[in-house]
Amino acid sequence: MPSIDDVTNTPDELTDDEAEALLEDADLVQDMTGEVCPYPQVEAKKGLQDLEAGELLVQETDHVPCTENVPRAVGDDAEAQVWRSGDATYRIYLRKQA
Amino acid sequence: MVATLLVAAVVGLALGAFLQKGRFCFVNAFRDFFAYKDSRVTKGVLAATFLTMIFWGIAYQLGYYQGFWTPDWGLTGLVGGFIFGVGMTYAGGCASGTLYRAGEGYLQFWLTLLFMGVGYAGFTVAFPTLERTYFEPLTVGEGASLFTVTSVPAGLVGLAVALAGLLVYATLTGRASTAADFGERADVAQLTPAAFLAPVVGLRGFARGTETYFRGLVRAWRHPIAASKQPWDPRTAALGITAAAVLWFTQVSIVGVTGPEARWTGYLLSQVGVDAGSFEYWGSILFQGQGVGVTVDMVMIAFVIVGAFLAALWSGDFALRVPKRRRLPNAVVGGLMMGAGSRLAPGCNIGNIYSGIAELSIHSFIAAVGIVAGVYVMTHWIYREVGCAI
Repeated sequence: MPSIDDVTNTPDELTDDEAEALLEDADLVQDMTGEVCPYPQVEAKKGLQDLEAGELLVQETDHVPCTENVPRAVGDDAEAQVWRSGDATYRIYLRKQA
Repeated sequence: MVATLLVAAVVGLALGAFLQKGRFCFVNAFRDFFAYKDSRVTKGVLAATFLTMIFWGIAYQLGYYQGFWTPDWGLTGLVGGFIFGVGMTYAGGCASGTLYRAGEGYLQFWLTLLFMGVGYAGFTVAFPTLERTYFEPLTVGEGASLFTVTSVPAGLVGLAVALAGLLVYATLTGRASTAADFGERADVAQLTPAAFLAPVVGLRGFARGTETYFRGLVRAWRHPIAASKQPWDPRTAALGITAAAVLWFTQVSIVGVTGPEARWTGYLLSQVGVDAGSFEYWGSILFQGQGVGVTVDMVMIAFVIVGAFLAALWSGDFALRVPKRRRLPNAVVGGLMMGAGSRLAPGCNIGNIYSGIAELSIHSFIAAVGIVAGVYVMTHWIYREVGCAI
């Protein structure tokens, strides 16, 4: 059965509490506010190269398209989740895969 | 006049909202496809272009149209398109993407718009020289739309080209998936049936994808308020943009962005005392001797920014965003290259890729190749440290 995800194609969304808890767990945080495409994509790929499998990269961004572009850019290299503050800031959580 | 202004407001608001909700960006469409084979937005761009082609063809055949935009064709499309393509990839947003992000509150893209204006003004000053040294030697033939040069009904031409486009798309996607099925064992002997099967496999994939998309759309309608705040599939944006573009085509013209922006530049400069009308490019070409003033397409693109602003506000995506200092060269250099490139081609991603291909203009086929080539080269440069897929 197709779901809403087939329409919007966005990664899983995190609740506020999950997002806060996971942020403390992050191994690398990249501040991408004020950036535009495709630099966050490039930085995410570079950041993941420095991490071990299972480690977590978090990008803070205020660029709307990044919430979809960045997970797409890293592809199978990381599992992606997104948090929307509702106030035009977003966090992208990328857990590096083996 | 009031009715036309109302159409301009409706079309502009709709375009802005659909661009914002679908994050419908031509840089994204091509750059991400080259960089990591993400075809999500590319599909939206293709859907919008081919759907618009079909409906414009029908509207033209029935006589519901005002005119085509068909500049003379030649190498200018390749040169200007390439400069524009490099510029928009560096700036991080195409002509339409810059407009909708300006509406989302990005100061970065207001700066890009400003330097696009500088590009238009610089071009205008250099135009008399460029006409002799650039446009005359590089122009090959008179511009035309394929809708107007054949005796075949335009509606059929549009449909035939769109179907041919679909078949090419199906063959490419079908070949990719059959090749994946065969894996590395595929050799020359197995490729022959695969080549036959590719369009069938691709068309079935297309039908499945389209069905899934529309089912999802129906589901989204059950919670209209919540769904309206979520990001939308670029194909949804494509449907909305097509509807707005068909209305615009029957009432005013094809959809353009940088032409009206270049007129805004002339108009705004005339408001601060510059005699814009005395420049040949503004006076006799852009404003066609009608005097420097606000034209209906200028009103329309202003409403694109308003539409994007309202959609962003509704979705919680609006904020005044201050750029990082190291991104300022992207706005300055990218904006200049977009402004100048769009005049040298002439036309931007909307005029040449979306509208231009939809109206089957010879010039736009060439300029589209130039723009995509520019995106390709610039994407490889930006991704030089991590590599591109294509």
